[in-house]
Amino acid sequence: MQRTGLFIERAGFLQRLNPLTKITGALLLIGATFLLPAPLTGAALLGGVLLPLALASLVVRRFLDTLLKTLLPVLISLALVQGLFFPTADPATVAVGPLLFRRAGIQFALDIGSRLLVVAGAPLLVFQTTHPGTLVQALIQRGMPRSVGYMLLTALQLIPAVTERAARVAEAQRARGLETEGNILQRIRGLLPLISPLIVGALIEAEERAMALEARAFNAPGPKTWVRDIPDPPAERMARIVMLTALGALIVWRVATLALG
Amino acid sequence: MTTSTTSRRGELSSTALALIPIAIAINVALGHLVQSVLKLPIYLDSIGTVLVGVLLGPLAGAITGLLANVIWGLTLAPSALPFAAVAAVIGLIAGYARQYGALHAWWKMALAGVITGIVAAAISAPIATYVFGGVTGGGTDVLVAMFQNLGASVLGASFMQGAVSDPLDKTITYLIVWMIIYALPKRLLARFGATEH
Repeated sequence: MQRTGLFIERAGFLQRLNPLTKITGALLLIGATFLLPAPLTGAALLGGVLLPLALASLVVRRFLDTLLKTLLPVLISLALVQGLFFPTADPATVAVGPLLFRRAGIQFALDIGSRLLVVAGAPLLVFQTTHPGTLVQALIQRGMPRSVGYMLLTALQLIPAVTERAARVAEAQRARGLETEGNILQRIRGLLPLISPLIVGALIEAEERAMALEARAFNAPGPKTWVRDIPDPPAERMARIVMLTALGALIVWRVATLALG
Repeated sequence: MTTSTTSRRGELSSTALALIPIAIAINVALGHLVQSVLKLPIYLDSIGTVLVGVLLGPLAGAITGLLANVIWGLTLAPSALPFAAVAAVIGLIAGYARQYGALHAWWKMALAGVITGIVAAAISAPIATYVFGGVTGGGTDVLVAMFQNLGASVLGASFMQGAVSDPLDKTITYLIVWMIIYALPKRLLARFGATEH
């Protein structure tokens, strides 16, 4: 079966934790990067919290790999666009070769960039160490609608299937003489014969799924039982309360300092 | 109007439950196909969202958009997560567009696309500015640089970039959805409660 999602099967530290604890931790980290002064906070959280956690969970290489692959284009763009074109009255510049970077722009790029690494990195680490099924079950047991859980998991499974079907439709239409290369106009004209078979097929499949759901009484009221049991030791419950209190305290502190100037 | 969105207890109907995950997968698969395989300068990653909004109403559309970006963030690009709210609004507007009779004529669908695009640009600009510093790492960053050089603030430049890119993308999306709905068998449309056009 094709891999879906980011989950990596390892037996490390974060993998043993309850998904709710990990989500709470990620929320605290994201909150902290916006509430505490950048770029120091971002760098400290990345180096002092996320990387050690990834190391302890045996996913550090894949973590860095995915994080950089997704963010590198943004970071480069950030440095170039804001470094060179940041709207500022401050005339201070830093020359790098033939390019004149604006100091305020570099400051802005550093602030945002360091924050971005944590905002993207924290959820990434959660998803790399949590099986989607476990994650969704933990959320449903905490009151997320069962239908939302079903839709999330089904979509995760369907993405590789639909991607594959899209490629197959493209090949079939190319065999019938469809232009998928050439100038922009030709490529846009080639789009509709690709999209409509894909979607019509998907809608027919949706109808079959709907009938299957009805036949299995998915929408029936009443309590359900669970096949898997997700451990939630008291220590983790305590940790969640501490993290949420810390987040609340940070928000109160930030609002207070803003209000008092 | 949107007869089959919810069952009697206010939960999503089986039809919505079955269609939404497929629409999410279509968003991701087509977005990938259009951006990476055909290399077109548009996104087309909200066709599924608009389709569900138009077929099943604002609530189902909003859920599709929201979950699509959560899933996208979960699987391929963590940076899609902050824009989940924008995707939800796109689905919401698609649902209301149907209620205002957008399906009756192609130019009404095009108009709905332009409106959706402008709203989407307005909501994504603050997110792009405060989370991403105005850039996304894509080709549209050139526009942000250009507008800033013409004297716009980071927020202003982000909005102007969106105002150029989004209405075009959403208009094409709505027109494609319109053509697809007209190509669908009547029997299938009846299942989704879209029989009036």
